[in-house]
Amino acid sequence: MLDNLALGVATAVSPENLLWCFIGVALGTVIGMLPGLGSATGVALLLPVTLALEPVTALIMLAGIYYGCQYGASISSILISTPGDSSSVVLTLDGYQMARNGRAGAALAVSALSSFIAAIITIVGLMLLAAPIADLALRFGPPETLAVILLGLSTIVSFAGDNLLRGITMAAVGLLLSTVGIASGFTDARFTFGSLNLLSGLDFIAVLIGLFAIGEVLHQIHRGGEAPIRARFKDLVITRDDVRRMIPASLRGTGLGFALGVLPGAGATLATFMSYGLEGRVGKHRAELGTGAVEGVAAPEASNNAAANASFIPTLSLGIPGSGTTAVLLGAFVVFGLQPGPLLFEQQPALVWGLLVSFVIGNFMLLVLNLPLAPVFAQALRVPYSYLYPFILFISLLGAFAIGNNTFSLWVAFTAGVLGYFMKRFDFPAAPLVLGLVLGPLLERSLVQTSALGRGDLMIIFERPISAAFTVAAILAILAPVVLAAVRRRRAPGRARQSTPTA
Amino acid sequence: MRTSRATALAAMAAVTGLVLTACGEDSGGSTDGGSAAGPDGPVTMVVPFSAGGGSDLSGRAMASGLEEVTDSTVTVENITGGSGAVGYGQLLASAGDPSTLLASETSLVTLPIIQDVPYTYDQFTPIMKAGEDYNLVIAGGDSEWETCTDMVEAARDESLTAAVSGTTGPDAIAWTLIEQEESVELQRVPFESTAEVTAALLGDQVQVAAASPGEVIGQLESGDVKALCALAPERYEYEELADIPTGGEQGLDVTFAQWRGLVAAPELDEESTRFWVDAAEEWTTTDSYTEYIESNYLQPQTLFGEDFAEYLVQYDADARSALQP
Repeated sequence: MLDNLALGVATAVSPENLLWCFIGVALGTVIGMLPGLGSATGVALLLPVTLALEPVTALIMLAGIYYGCQYGASISSILISTPGDSSSVVLTLDGYQMARNGRAGAALAVSALSSFIAAIITIVGLMLLAAPIADLALRFGPPETLAVILLGLSTIVSFAGDNLLRGITMAAVGLLLSTVGIASGFTDARFTFGSLNLLSGLDFIAVLIGLFAIGEVLHQIHRGGEAPIRARFKDLVITRDDVRRMIPASLRGTGLGFALGVLPGAGATLATFMSYGLEGRVGKHRAELGTGAVEGVAAPEASNNAAANASFIPTLSLGIPGSGTTAVLLGAFVVFGLQPGPLLFEQQPALVWGLLVSFVIGNFMLLVLNLPLAPVFAQALRVPYSYLYPFILFISLLGAFAIGNNTFSLWVAFTAGVLGYFMKRFDFPAAPLVLGLVLGPLLERSLVQTSALGRGDLMIIFERPISAAFTVAAILAILAPVVLAAVRRRRAPGRARQSTPTA
Repeated sequence: MRTSRATALAAMAAVTGLVLTACGEDSGGSTDGGSAAGPDGPVTMVVPFSAGGGSDLSGRAMASGLEEVTDSTVTVENITGGSGAVGYGQLLASAGDPSTLLASETSLVTLPIIQDVPYTYDQFTPIMKAGEDYNLVIAGGDSEWETCTDMVEAARDESLTAAVSGTTGPDAIAWTLIEQEESVELQRVPFESTAEVTAALLGDQVQVAAASPGEVIGQLESGDVKALCALAPERYEYEELADIPTGGEQGLDVTFAQWRGLVAAPELDEESTRFWVDAAEEWTTTDSYTEYIESNYLQPQTLFGEDFAEYLVQYDADARSALQP
C-alpha cells in the first residue's frame, strides 16, 4: 500500500505530469462552465490531442478535465442559473439565490471548498477501499437500483416547498416526458409522432438548458430593468459562519455521493437531489433552504464531486464505467493500449496510483484556482442584465446545439424555455420535473429488468434484503410527513404549537 | 471597478473563444483533394453514436486512416439520436455528395427492420466492411457451466436469465438464433450497454450473456468472467482467445457476426465510389488498420464495394429471420 502510494507520488509529481494535470483541470473548468458541452464530450474532444503523450500523462490530463468540469459547472449554475449538466441542477436552487442576494462570491467559494472536501475524502476512500467497495457495488442489481430510484423520487417531498401537489405534478410531467422515444426493453417507439429526432427521447440537457437558463432570462426580461447586483466586497468573501455551516452539510453530501457514485449508472444526479433532500430533513437551517442557504450549495456540490470520484471505483477496479465520462475514459485506456479490467491495479500500478495521486494534486490546483477567482467571477453579475442575457442565450443555445450537432435540440431548448418561464410565473418548481425526466428512463429500465429477473413477479424487490430496506425507506419518506402532520393536527391546536417539530 | 469588469469580460471572451475554436476544429481546413476524382474540400465522417463508444472509435480510426491515404481532411462529427437513425438521416440528405461518409455497423441493417425509419440499408453506397467480430457466450467466473452445451441443457430444465445489451443488438439476435436452433426459451433481461451487462454478470444478477471479445477481454483474463463458446465458424487466432472453443465444436450450430465498416451517401457517382473504395482498400494495407483491428480484437475480414453490397443482402435476410420470427 505505502509502496504503491510512493510509486504514485513519484509518477504524479514529475514536471510534465504536473503541467498536464494543470492544463487538464483548467480546461475542465472552462468546459464545465459551458452548458451542454459537459465532461464526456470534453474528454472525447481532447482525446486525440493527448495521443502524443505518455499514457499516464494523457490519462492524468483527461481525468483532470473530468473533475475540473465539476468545479466549472457550479460557476454557471450559481452565477446565471445555467446548469451545464443534470448534476448541477440542484445547485441553482440555493446557489443562484445566494448570487441574487449579492453573495455570489461566497456561494462560489462554498462550492469550491465543499467540492474539495468531498474530493479529498473520496480519493482516500478510493485508495483504501476500491476493491471491496467495487464488489459490494456489484450486489446492486436491478431490484436494488429500482428501490434506490424510488427513494430518490420520494425526495420530491423536500423540493416541493409549500405545495406538495405542485411538486408531485411536475415530477409526473418529468416522468411522462421521459417516456418519449424507444421504450427500454422493447422495440416500440412512443410519442415520437414519426419524428426521427425523438426516437432516442428528449435530451434532458436540452430540456434543462431551456427550463433554467432560457426560462430565467425570459423571466428577468418580463420583470424588466433588473438592476445589476451591487454587492459590497465584504459580501463577496466567504465568512467564518459560512464555513461553520458548510462543513456538516459537505460531509453528509460526501457520504451520499460516495455511496451512489459507486453504483454503475445511478450516479451523480440522484446523489445531488438526495443530499439536498437530506438537508431539508436534518439540516440546522433547513427553513432557509431555497432562499440562498449555504447548506443548499455545500451538500449537492459535495455529493456531485464525491460521486464523480467514486465512479472511478468500478472503472479502475472492475473495468466497468461508473458514469458517462468514465466510459469515455475507458475508451481512452484502450486507445493507449491499456486493458481496463480487474487486473489493472496489478499490471499497471504506476499508472493507477499515479492517476490517483494526481487527483489529489488536481483538486488542490482547482481549489487554489477557484477560491481567489470566486469574487472575480462574481463581478460578472455587475454587468447590466441587458448586456448579460444575450451572452447567456448565446452560450445556452450553443450548448443545446452541441448536444447532437443538429438544430432539433435548439427547438427542444426553446420550447422548454417558454415552459420554464410560465412555470416560474405561476410558481411551479422546475427541479422535480428534471428529477422525473432524468430518473424516468432509469426507473423504467430497472422495473423491466426486475420484472424479467422475477419472471414477471415484482415481489422479488422484497425478497432481497438491500432492495427491501430501500423500498421501505422510500415508503416511510413519503408517508412520514403526512402521518406526522395528521398526528399533530389531531392533538389540541394549542399543544401542537408548543411541541417541537420532529423530523 | 473598471478592471474587475474588464476581467469578467475577458473571462467571457476567453470562454467564447474556446467555443469558437472548438467549432472551427470541426469544420476543418481544406486541403487539395489528392487525386482528381476525390472530393473537393474537407470530408465529414458522420458517427451516428456519441463520442467514446465502439462506433466512435472505429469512425476515428477510419477517418485518420483515410486522411493518411487520400491527403484529404477527414473530420469526425458525432450526429446522435434515434438509436443512430438521425446520423443516417443526415447521410440520406447528402445524396450524391462524395464528401460525406458514415462509420457504419450492424444497426444499418437491423434498425430499419424493427423501427419505422425513412431509409433501408440498400439506399446507401457501400464502401467497405472493415472487420467483423463474433459474440462469445459468457458466464460468471464461478458458474457451474463450462460449455455452451451445458448452458443449453440447463435451459431445457429451468428458465435461465440471459442479458441483452439492447433489444435489437447482435447479442439479442444471437440468443434468438440459439433459441430457434435448440428449441429452448431464455428469459431476457435488457440492459443499455455491454458494460452494464458485464456488471450484472459479475454480480450474479444474470446467468449468461453474449459479448464481443474486445469488450470483456479484461474480465476474461482476470477470470471474473469465463467464455463458454464463441459463436464463430472458427476459433479466434488471438493468443488470449485461441483456447475458446466454437459453438460448432460443442454441437451448437449457431454463428453470428457483427460488422463494422464504411458507407457513403446514396446515389454516389461511379467515379467517387471507386475513389473511396480504392482509398479504403489502401488503408487496410497500412499499420494503422492492423493496430485498429488488433486493439479491438476484430477479425480483419474485409469486403469492398459490390462484394460488401452482396454481403449486406445476405445479412439482411439473416437478421430478418431472427428479428421477425
